[in-house]
Amino acid sequence: MYDGSIAGFYCCVFESVYSRQIPCDIFVSHQAPYTLLPQKLITTDSQKAARVYRSIPLKISQQALRLVEVVFLSCMKQKELALLRFLLLAYRCNAKIMQMLAHPLVAPLLAAERHIRNESHLLRGFIRFADYDGILAASITPKNFVLPLIANHFITRFSDEDFLIFDKTHHAALTYQNRKKNFISVKEIEFSPASENENYYQALWKQFYNTVAIEARDNPKCRMTQVPKRYWENMTEMKDLL
Amino acid sequence: MDLMTKLKILSNGAKYDAACTSSGADRPGNRGLGSALAAGCCHAFSADGRCISLLKVLMTNQCIYDCKYCINRSSNDIQRAAFTPEELAELTIQFYRRNYIEGLFLSSGIIKNPDYTMEKMIAILEILRRKYDFYGYVHAKTIPGASPELIYKLGLLADRLSVNIELPSERSLNQLAPHKTKQAILTPMRQIADGLCSSKEERFLYKHAPRFAGAGQATQMIIGATPENDFSILRLASFLYEKYQLRRVFYSAYIPAVEDSLLPALNTKPPLLREHRLYQADWLIRQYDFSADEILSEETPNFNPYLDPKCNWAINNMGRFPIDVNKASREDLLRIPGIGPISAKRIIIARKAGKLGIAELKRIGVVLKRAQYFIITRDNPSGPHLNNETVLRALIDPKVYRTDMEQLSLFPEETDPRLPSPQDFTSVTQAAEEVVLSLSRSL
Repeated sequence: MYDGSIAGFYCCVFESVYSRQIPCDIFVSHQAPYTLLPQKLITTDSQKAARVYRSIPLKISQQALRLVEVVFLSCMKQKELALLRFLLLAYRCNAKIMQMLAHPLVAPLLAAERHIRNESHLLRGFIRFADYDGILAASITPKNFVLPLIANHFITRFSDEDFLIFDKTHHAALTYQNRKKNFISVKEIEFSPASENENYYQALWKQFYNTVAIEARDNPKCRMTQVPKRYWENMTEMKDLL
Repeated sequence: MDLMTKLKILSNGAKYDAACTSSGADRPGNRGLGSALAAGCCHAFSADGRCISLLKVLMTNQCIYDCKYCINRSSNDIQRAAFTPEELAELTIQFYRRNYIEGLFLSSGIIKNPDYTMEKMIAILEILRRKYDFYGYVHAKTIPGASPELIYKLGLLADRLSVNIELPSERSLNQLAPHKTKQAILTPMRQIADGLCSSKEERFLYKHAPRFAGAGQATQMIIGATPENDFSILRLASFLYEKYQLRRVFYSAYIPAVEDSLLPALNTKPPLLREHRLYQADWLIRQYDFSADEILSEETPNFNPYLDPKCNWAINNMGRFPIDVNKASREDLLRIPGIGPISAKRIIIARKAGKLGIAELKRIGVVLKRAQYFIITRDNPSGPHLNNETVLRALIDPKVYRTDMEQLSLFPEETDPRLPSPQDFTSVTQAAEEVVLSLSRSL
């Protein structure tokens, strides 16, 4: 069991390497199931975490570090265990591990990485902001924890704006105010009703959206493939179609 | 007239333009509003399944020209409207802030004369870029017949320029767009191509030299309104890619919007399958190193509706298969049906770590549905032993059996006489068997 942070996970790796034990699963402490199997609580120690963090680019590769960091944010089942077993293998194979795309311990991680990268790519387009007195706010319900991956895109794009992206699934939000970014943990955010001006622009957008479709080419199945239904609830122009 | 009505009229007038890509410009943000991603970004998908990336509108739908196929032709009795520059700039900014769009796609009907129209378009882009400090994507359509200075000015403000070639031959152009000449289309294209080239050189020498249409130029042609065959369209496209350094050629299935004796009837369905095949072939030319002559020829000038162009090529070149995935070069891997640039890249990396078998290929995400008939793997060193009929049966593109099958060509004499027409069948299985038989006979 660990505290759910990436530093905590690195401490699990440390523990496993030096105790020469491989756990049968790794849990975030407040989500751990009741079990008769022996459990071990790994407390987060920043020095141990830093040693593991430094060892990855040193003994494996920079590319592997990126993979570990991204997969850690993904919604892959038992990702901690998968990452630990990957790292134990990688410490033996070194940089070559990143060529072993077909290895049973590597392939699932690459698939998880594709999944989260793909979701964050889609969300860069599908996020819809609404203007609340000059502050732009949006809600998302992603499967993966994509906020850290999309933050920079929106910060450079809207550098002079103040904005907020609320991740309902993971109860977290990215705020950007006075050119400062912050990740905060929140259960719920109440948005005040939209202003008249905001409603006007939403209506204009829906007008545009409905006009550009060419009736003779109607193809709802293709649209569904491109924008899976789970994104619709947060999109201005799709909400009404649900 | 209120903004809502204007937006409706002017987006309706622009929607038949196929191009909606926002790719090719890589400009990180940091000041002002906006940035551009090299890969482009789709923000929404309309009910017809097409991507919406840019606010695609006309500046005005008033037009002095009378192109037969166009809904904005001067003789068409429709409501006319025009955005004021300030109005359109504000709308773009407000849509952009809400992340509805990646930028603006600006086209226009022609008012007074081409130069006057271009000046007005430039005015809009100047407000966007200067007053609003907008760094998002702009695709501007140049007006045929506008002066070179104005095209240059427009190119400094836009990321991508395009000149529509409209119809795939000079004869059709004369017939249906009497005000546009081949010269009026190719001259600005040449100018833009040269401008791109010299801007690149200058920017190599001086970091702050002005950027001219950083995302290059594109064009579009209408498919199915005139009798050109697929081979001549494809040859024209590859000529444009080579000689004019076009980034993209877009094909737009003709959708009858106006009644005219020179055009197909209003109830004609758009040739969507044909358009789809053209895009597939276009992709083969740009990303897979195919040439137009490999895909079609004088003898078979039209696409096989039942097979995608790559499968069609493979079936007619069975001598080049099977290909050993553990040894083949990237170029050869790309020739295998079902393997694209991504799969090829993964194969090349993964085989350094060990020989690949079917299980390994599956695990790295290579789709074997089509590829399995064409490859040698570790666990199958002699390759598949199959007869042509089995392979054909597996390769037939299910898209051809969509219930709303359109007519393949409006000019029936052009379809391949060796092939049965898709309309002749009642059941899909019967159709598939017939096709397999007639295709394998012709191999």
